[in-house]
Amino acid sequence: MSEIYVITSGKGGVGKTTTTANLGVGLAMRGKKVVLVDTDTGLRNLDLLLGLENRIMYDLIDVTEGRVPYKKALVRHKKYDSLFLLPTSQVKDKMAVNPEQLITLCNELRKEFDYILIDCPAGIEQGFKTAIAAADTALVVTMPEISAVRDADKIIGELGRADKENIKLIVNRIRPQMVENGDMLDMEDIDDILSLECIGQVPDDIKVVTSTNKGEPCITMDDSQAGTAYRNIVGRMCGEDIPFMTFEKEGFWTRLKHVFRK
Amino acid sequence: MSEEIVKIKGSKSGLQLSFADGATFDDVRQDIEDKLVSGTGFFLRGTLVLLPSDAFTEEERGKLQKLFHEHGLICRTMKPAEQQTPSEKVREESKQHQEAVKKAKAEKDKVQEMVVVNRTLRGGQEIRTESSVMVCGNVNPGAQIIAGGSIDIRGTCRGMVHAGAFGDSTAFIIADHLMPTQIRISNLIARSPDEMEKTERAERASIKEGRIVIEPIER
Ligand SMILES: Nc1ncnc2c1ncn2[C@@H]1O[C@H](COP(=O)(O)OP(=O)(O)OP(=O)(O)O)[C@@H](O)[C@H]1O
Ligand SMILES: [Mg+2]
Repeated sequence: MSEIYVITSGKGGVGKTTTTANLGVGLAMRGKKVVLVDTDTGLRNLDLLLGLENRIMYDLIDVTEGRVPYKKALVRHKKYDSLFLLPTSQVKDKMAVNPEQLITLCNELRKEFDYILIDCPAGIEQGFKTAIAAADTALVVTMPEISAVRDADKIIGELGRADKENIKLIVNRIRPQMVENGDMLDMEDIDDILSLECIGQVPDDIKVVTSTNKGEPCITMDDSQAGTAYRNIVGRMCGEDIPFMTFEKEGFWTRLKHVFRK
Repeated sequence: MSEEIVKIKGSKSGLQLSFADGATFDDVRQDIEDKLVSGTGFFLRGTLVLLPSDAFTEEERGKLQKLFHEHGLICRTMKPAEQQTPSEKVREESKQHQEAVKKAKAEKDKVQEMVVVNRTLRGGQEIRTESSVMVCGNVNPGAQIIAGGSIDIRGTCRGMVHAGAFGDSTAFIIADHLMPTQIRISNLIARSPDEMEKTERAERASIKEGRIVIEPIER
């Protein structure tokens, strides 16, 4: 039985692509057969995060327009060989694929893969409608910030309108110190508005950025807090009951350590 | 005399006069003069008086006009189109009144109907109805309810809520936690304070003495 997830957010730049890449790698590390579908046509960058840019031959539009079978467009990951990317075009726009085409494609992919993760473009326009069309479950990514939460709320409303009832929340870029100081929304504030099952709380982590540059998502790193958070999400997606981690705060003792090191 | 010789009816444009059936010109003239001299009632200086165009001769009407002018009133003859006998007018009015009552009742019935929303209203979603609304869920920031009647929210209200949107100033808004961006009732608007604490008790917003007031309620 395969599962189709769409990773969406409303607001741009909150971490959809980062999340898609990490969950994809994480599921593949568990031996699952995974395909990542980039629907952010015109702005593709899922391939960059996976370090696969130079291997792209065909793209999503070539497939949906019937020029090549999907297998020809799939790019296998260098390291995790059960992970595939279906990249999108950088020259076409989001009108190039319609919901029916994506549903047809996903029905094909279902036969082959355990997990199909769809990276959704920002916004609530056509690209969003196409990306969500085939999904069984939506993962809504947000940040602990008023505008991101408002947009997530709106997206959840839109998902409801499209009869997508299975929706889960991932809160990304949490800064525990700021939450502590009351400078950032905490989980309770967010739950107050969104009232949605949360399956991930990912801290803000510099390793996300450094790993991106290497084309190797941080989920593979043992010393990355964000990596640990993503591994936990993968576990929860596989039905495990994993408690949410408590973040290591830049508290009194850590600050003291810094002082001694200097 | 059981019937007034000169009947006076106020209208938008001025005082419309009509005369009792069978009253002679002299009766009318006398009656008007008495009223003008006594200075009571409607005949104030500067008032526009309208004479029915079918009453008396043109010459006689001219005499009445002169009489009014002498007392500082303006007198014109009504154009036939504007002219209605009082009884017709009254009948017409009562008909209109009945219709208005019927309409108001229909509107009231509509208001008494209720739209029930069994989910959270999220940002960008809107309920617009002539009746009342009950929400079993939250009304999130960026969501809107515009209701002809009252609004009852079994949850937290953080959106924009407008009760009595078509003028019903008896409409009210109730929420378990009432912390909307804006409350509107009828044509009044109340904005939330810039810093809003989550309220612990259910509250009710309604119009009292021309202002929107919010008070805690039990439920
Ligand atoms: N947990 C994190 N810690 C630090 N940086 C992060 C984290 N998550 C994402 N970022 C950074 O935020 C930026 C945006 O992330 P990403 O591209 O995944 O967002 P997106 O939602 O896909 O954006 P878009 O809407 O443009 O597609 C990237 O530079 C990424 O490295
Ligand atoms: Mg992206």
